[in-house]
Amino acid sequence: MNRQPDADVLVIGSGAAGAAICSRLAGRGAKVVCLEQGDWVDRARLPKSHPDWEVRGRRYWAANPNVRRWPADYPVSSEGQDPIDVYMYNAVGGSQIGFAGNYWRMAPSDFRVQSLDDVGADWPFDYEELAPYYTLNEAEVGVAGLAGDPCGPPREPLPNPPAPIGRPGQLLVDAYEKLGWYWWPTEQAITTHAYRGRPACDNRGWCTFGCPQGSLSTADLTYWPGALKNGVELRTQARVREVVIGGDGKAIGARYYDQDGVVREVRAAVTVVACGGLGTPRLLLMSSSPSHPDGLANSSGLVGKNLMVHVQSFATGLFEEPVDGWNGTWGGTVSTRQFYETDPARDYVRGFIMSGCRGWSPLNLALQIAPWGSGHHQAFDERINHEISLYLCGEDLPEESNHVELDWGHLDGFGMPGVVTHHELNENSRRLGRDMIAHAHQVLEAAGAKSVRDFGLAPIWGWHLLGTAKMGEDPRTSVADRFNRAHDVPNLFIADGSSMPTSAGVNPSATIQALALRCADHIWESRRDYDSGLSSQMR
Amino acid sequence: MAYDRKQGRHQVAQSSQPDYRLEVGRAEVPVGTPRGFVVLDPARAATLKAWTSTLIPASGRRPDAGSVGAAEYIDATVHLVPSIRPALLHAIDEVERLALAATGKTFAECGVEQREGVLRQFQSAGDRDAFSMVGDFTYEAYYGHPEVLAAIEADTGWRGSGPMKGSSMTAFDASRLERVRNLPRRYRAVAGRELKG
Repeated sequence: MNRQPDADVLVIGSGAAGAAICSRLAGRGAKVVCLEQGDWVDRARLPKSHPDWEVRGRRYWAANPNVRRWPADYPVSSEGQDPIDVYMYNAVGGSQIGFAGNYWRMAPSDFRVQSLDDVGADWPFDYEELAPYYTLNEAEVGVAGLAGDPCGPPREPLPNPPAPIGRPGQLLVDAYEKLGWYWWPTEQAITTHAYRGRPACDNRGWCTFGCPQGSLSTADLTYWPGALKNGVELRTQARVREVVIGGDGKAIGARYYDQDGVVREVRAAVTVVACGGLGTPRLLLMSSSPSHPDGLANSSGLVGKNLMVHVQSFATGLFEEPVDGWNGTWGGTVSTRQFYETDPARDYVRGFIMSGCRGWSPLNLALQIAPWGSGHHQAFDERINHEISLYLCGEDLPEESNHVELDWGHLDGFGMPGVVTHHELNENSRRLGRDMIAHAHQVLEAAGAKSVRDFGLAPIWGWHLLGTAKMGEDPRTSVADRFNRAHDVPNLFIADGSSMPTSAGVNPSATIQALALRCADHIWESRRDYDSGLSSQMR
Repeated sequence: MAYDRKQGRHQVAQSSQPDYRLEVGRAEVPVGTPRGFVVLDPARAATLKAWTSTLIPASGRRPDAGSVGAAEYIDATVHLVPSIRPALLHAIDEVERLALAATGKTFAECGVEQREGVLRQFQSAGDRDAFSMVGDFTYEAYYGHPEVLAAIEADTGWRGSGPMKGSSMTAFDASRLERVRNLPRRYRAVAGRELKG
């Protein structure tokens, strides 16, 4: 007996991408159900609501799911020569609930990496096709920044002015001016002015530890209120076991465990997987069946392959004068794309950004540099409020050998497998990383630092988990098409960071959300291809 | 055997010896809350208190770690995470044994230099992971404590209440962009097209 669909569109995952898709489709009239394995974050428990926020950030708010172990988290092991210290959250809003807000557009050349630089892959479309969705998303999110950066194409004014840069930013501007380099105020997903019902940022800093003010543009605050108002049914604590495929090869919907461990099923005309760079391949691989023995949508064999995380580091300068490093958004000073584009004079291709941050917070700093015993306070006092850090982020090229796979030896609380990541920086990334760190020293020294320390290229910080179900034109070399539709399953979409063919050299949230909006519009515009049997609006 | 451990309903990849860094995620212990010892007996509590005070001694306005409850914080943590209790108990006992062997006194009775010598000996020859655990937890208890944060602010200008209360700041001065605004564009156009946002 045929069962009536529960929704036009089923979205699995409520994070940066899932939230944007739900909001966009519901706003146009689609009936949408969203399954989220986590739950709403209790904002009273955000670390920064408490004086011991740094300690809370190391325990129940820890970005590594193996430490935090919320009920929705699944085990993640890390292997390879350069193992990833995985950072992600499973909650309404996804990993955005623990992000710093740095919010970049990719450059036009990022969409043509293979054609321009003979490495990596081309995206199946150009910057100009995504640009309107960047703009739309920036308005939804309330991005702070300034148009006019000569390191990117012309664009519309941004919704909010840049964050105050404070003394650290002023010193970095002085350095860039002295060096004659490009620089620009860093764009952030932070409402620096009151915006669409959300308050102006009050400069508490340390944004990854939660924003009690509500100015950090996490998906639970940006897209979800409107999505719910427009009728999206969000089911939390819903751990999806598998995407279900019908006899005609189309996705029927998904089966999941509810909070009591009872299996449930949602049926929809269209299914969207948006579970992040690890969660999406995990679900696709878990959804194997006789017709998809190697995992769903995996005829290319690329589900889980090409895991990218960015080449990342920090460099920290020590200054004679106090720098008020406690004051202001963590990433909201100025950045440079001086070395973003490939330069034949360098011994690597692709490039990197350098983003000015503030100083290290007391516990973090003490754990880094203050030895125990009688010299403790002297070492601490020399650096607290006298340091400025640069966040360094470069492009990590896709490699099939860098991958994620199911780990049936380590199960979550519902008997579903964890994952194992395998990662090694390639030679290009190592060269890029060394050059990136060297230039960071140059900037901080030009700013007047009396010494500079850096964090090298280890550990591999796993904030940006990308590429594990890549888009492309050719079904043999990609998992999804140019509109995020799985090549193998005509009504299944993969719309999150896993779909990115290359990583670019910038924080990916803005691109992930722009991609999600574009995917949503395609689903809406091609809705007549899908027989929902439910909503007249979708027809 | 590595990676063979099961933690309740959620299996976690880790070595056969419990890793405190992973184990403590579920142990919410507010810093600065008055509390006594619930796991450690008085003798071991005295040793641990002296240990934490040696790791971070008093200086000027700043108290030592023992006097702001670092040992009680550690005790409360292992109360919530039984798997790391053995490492702590064994470490305390070993430190006590080393103190008696070297000085004939209990660790708490030793002077600062003697304590530092004993801890260095334990750090180099004992359970390094247990030493790191006590150190990390001590730093947490210390740098999360309001009294310590207030003293740091008075001494260094670092405003520990900033993340709680926020502040006003001067807006970005866009006139500083005059030079950069007038530089040639610095991005590669694709296929000769002039891209527009």
